[in-house]
Amino acid sequence: MGPVEHLHMSVFSQSFSPCGRFLAAGNNYGEIAVFSLSSALSPDATDMSRKPILTFTAHEGPVFSLLSTDSHLLSAGNGEISAWTWAELIKRNTKAVWTRRPNYKSSLEIPEINAMTINPTENSLVIGGGDNNLHIMDLESGVFKSVLQGHTDYIHCLSVRERESEILSGGEDGAVRIWDCRTGQSVHCIEVYKYEDCARPQYGKWISCLTTDSDWMVLCGGGPYLSLWHLRSLSPTSIFPLSGCQRQATFYQDMILSVGEGQFVSHCLLGGEVKAQIPCTPHSLNTLALNLNSTENRVLTVGGSSHQIDVFANLSYRSFSLAF
Amino acid sequence: MSDALKKRKSKVVRSETGTPECKRGRGEVDQSVQELRVYNEEVELDGRDPEEDYKEYKLTCKALANLMNDIQELKANGAKDGCAEVEQKRMQSCIHFMSLKKLNRLAHMRLKRGRDQTHEAKQRVDVLHLQLQNLLYEVMHMQKEISKCLEFKSKHEEIDLVSVDEFYKEAPPEISRKSNTQDDPHQLTLARLDWELEQRKRLAEKYKESLSSKEKIQKSIEVKKEHLSSLQPGLNAIMQASLPVQQYLSMPFEQTQKQTEIARHLPPSLYVLLVQANAYGQACDKSLSVSISGDVDEAKALAKPPDDSQDDDSADSDAEEEQEKTKRRRPTTGGQLDDKRREMLKRHPLSLCLDLKCKDGSVLHLFFYYLMNLNIMTVKAKVSTATDLTGAVSAGELLNPDTLLNCLYANDQGRETPNPANRYQFDKVGISVFGDYVAELGHPYQWVQRLGGLQFPTDTPEGMRAGSAISASHMENTMKLLRGRVQSRLALHKHFSSLEHSIVPVSSECQQLFPAKVLSRLSRWTTITHQEYTSMSFTQHVSEAGLARDTDLFFMAVLERGTARLQAAVVLNPRYPEISPLFALSLGWKGERTGRTDDNLRAIESEVNVFKTELQGPRPGHQLLTNQLARLCVCLDVYLETDGQDDSVEGPREFPREKMCLRTARGPNRLKPFKYNHPQGFFSHR
Repeated sequence: MGPVEHLHMSVFSQSFSPCGRFLAAGNNYGEIAVFSLSSALSPDATDMSRKPILTFTAHEGPVFSLLSTDSHLLSAGNGEISAWTWAELIKRNTKAVWTRRPNYKSSLEIPEINAMTINPTENSLVIGGGDNNLHIMDLESGVFKSVLQGHTDYIHCLSVRERESEILSGGEDGAVRIWDCRTGQSVHCIEVYKYEDCARPQYGKWISCLTTDSDWMVLCGGGPYLSLWHLRSLSPTSIFPLSGCQRQATFYQDMILSVGEGQFVSHCLLGGEVKAQIPCTPHSLNTLALNLNSTENRVLTVGGSSHQIDVFANLSYRSFSLAF
Repeated sequence: MSDALKKRKSKVVRSETGTPECKRGRGEVDQSVQELRVYNEEVELDGRDPEEDYKEYKLTCKALANLMNDIQELKANGAKDGCAEVEQKRMQSCIHFMSLKKLNRLAHMRLKRGRDQTHEAKQRVDVLHLQLQNLLYEVMHMQKEISKCLEFKSKHEEIDLVSVDEFYKEAPPEISRKSNTQDDPHQLTLARLDWELEQRKRLAEKYKESLSSKEKIQKSIEVKKEHLSSLQPGLNAIMQASLPVQQYLSMPFEQTQKQTEIARHLPPSLYVLLVQANAYGQACDKSLSVSISGDVDEAKALAKPPDDSQDDDSADSDAEEEQEKTKRRRPTTGGQLDDKRREMLKRHPLSLCLDLKCKDGSVLHLFFYYLMNLNIMTVKAKVSTATDLTGAVSAGELLNPDTLLNCLYANDQGRETPNPANRYQFDKVGISVFGDYVAELGHPYQWVQRLGGLQFPTDTPEGMRAGSAISASHMENTMKLLRGRVQSRLALHKHFSSLEHSIVPVSSECQQLFPAKVLSRLSRWTTITHQEYTSMSFTQHVSEAGLARDTDLFFMAVLERGTARLQAAVVLNPRYPEISPLFALSLGWKGERTGRTDDNLRAIESEVNVFKTELQGPRPGHQLLTNQLARLCVCLDVYLETDGQDDSVEGPREFPREKMCLRTARGPNRLKPFKYNHPQGFFSHR
């Protein structure tokens, strides 16, 4: 990997290991790098400890999504999902445990996988991507058991409401669909761009980030403004005046952390105010991850259009950067 | 009374004279009696005890005193002189006197004898003492002698002997006498010395033999030399006679001979280069030719013992390049220091000219110089082309002799002297950077030193090799690089002149990389400076990554389609096409977007910067730059046509969708399809 490749690298996905001591990150060249957070955060950390302990090529296309289960790391590449054992990765063994490919209808181009999420009640993996459909894979048997059709353009993001056993999906077509896992039917469809307060026609209508706290609200962003929706009434409760298109957001304590276009992490209050915008290294951000798996390595990491991944030990300023 | 006094007198006289000789003179009778008595007395003395004598003396004295008292009493009572009683008493006391006298004599004799005895004993002791002294002295002397013997240095200790083991192994048994010498170190040493002597005798003989054979050989050499020198005139005559034949057959023996004659005066490094370049030219590369230029006489003079009457350094051969150079004047502060500087930077009067011909007829002239006092080599370059290459303004830098050979190997800029020792020399004469003098002296590139067989230790340690091995190992590679450099520069030159006319030349081999219809056009191609490049906001990430150095060439391309105007700042490494040009983009359309803020522009950048291998075209990839520009045009088309895909927007679109795309957006950052698939003619995502 030469300096020019580093210059054009983007980080698309991140996932913390179940033990919380390691961070896996995927980039646009199909590589996954594993960083040791504990050594990068230790007081005697050097530049070398902020380099990956392991870098390997996982897929041909970009790694848009990474997900950790209790023992495995799942990565999504060009139309395929691979699983790696964390224990083996830490031993620098980079052989995939399995690789699965959803049944796509033939197409000139292999559809990408933009989002993955686990539905814990059914122990299944929900996959959404370039073919406009949601594929549900049983994690026990590895069989793709159902396909949820309804979106008219590719799917950007997924979320699961555990208690209600509902899946939410947001796509390029601007729709947020809520699916009932048991019937496989779309129960609701929110079209965010149709609400005047949220719409930004100059950007477009796509929904690229979607988060639910599983209770009553859902956060949608993308072309339209980032907005908090009340699920029962299906109406926006607060709209956040963030200028760029948001790519990922998450609830954290009584705040919402959001990243997207722009060189900063936005801290928003549920009421709709932007509390702070914390500067970081990449010019636009793709991914944000909070390490809640271990108390001593509790950090926020963000990655974007750079080979660097910014680490926030404290939410209010950037501590240092990990680098591919 | 008077008689008694007389007797006493005589007795006193006798006792006073004391010695028998005196008595002998008085009366013969007395004498004989007395002699007998003296004799008897001496014998008697031995028999008597001194204690007894002492007691007798006391008794006698007592008796005498009693008699005296009696006489006194008698006299006092009125007795007359001569009365019988008194007379008797007087007789008795006379007898007592006699015995007292005898006792006195005895005492004297005893004393004398004692004295004699003491004296005798003392004498004996003295003799013994003397003897002891003698003996002590003798002992001391002996000890001295012993230690002298012990300290005696034998001559043989200075002789290097063969070791004992070796001695036993090599020496014949009659010398080694193992049984004798094994236990006796003295014998052993003697034997070893014998053996040494034997060997030395033998070696001396051998030495004499060798000397004589040497003399013989010398004589024979002498004879042969004479024979050879007698051949010289004959050979010269043959050479002279063969000249017309050589000319007729066009075989340049004479010329090469002359060259080797001159070459003898070359400094070693230039000589190495000459030999290696000649060898390489003959073996591998016919289009390489080497010649020597400069003042031979001056070089000859230089070879002689140092002669301070050397005049200025500039050799005649340099005159032509000097003319076309913008003559640099060195600051003339302090004439003496200036002279010293000039002396230090003096180059050897002879230089090498290496001509490298390319297929298209252009020639790269390389002039190699040797700086005598700095012990480094420098090079000047010049390109002469077959066709006239004027017109391209932006190409001006391309064939600039100053930068033409920059970074032939990575990081070899030829501004700093490669010889670490030079820094100290410079300090002395106040030269701060060698870079100020390269225009005049030529560039001291690392590869030039290696071609000349000069190797200087660098910060990165590597194995030291010597002389022509270095030159030989770098010759082929360097010549290839030099030729590649000239060809790539000429190719760029050609491309630039068409780029300046807003034409992006695409060769027939590369047609398939691009769709037939491309609407974006190159509108401007200009050269910019490093400062201008770094001051632009959309190139910051390139500068920060350290990919834009001042040795690179910088250009600005402007692509236009309709109202959209794409600026592309290009970094062209001197080692192009080995290191590909780097593009940074800024699009002026509906506001300003750059590769740093717009993911799609960033994707276009990586499309030309990262996925460049497919754009290289036929080897060695001279078409890379133009292909990158052509792809930029295509990508701009795609970008503009797929932007604002919101169909709900009213009115005609500025850029109607003409390209065939499977999907207009993909992935979380909604990239546009920039990859062209050749036979089918559609665009897809990477």
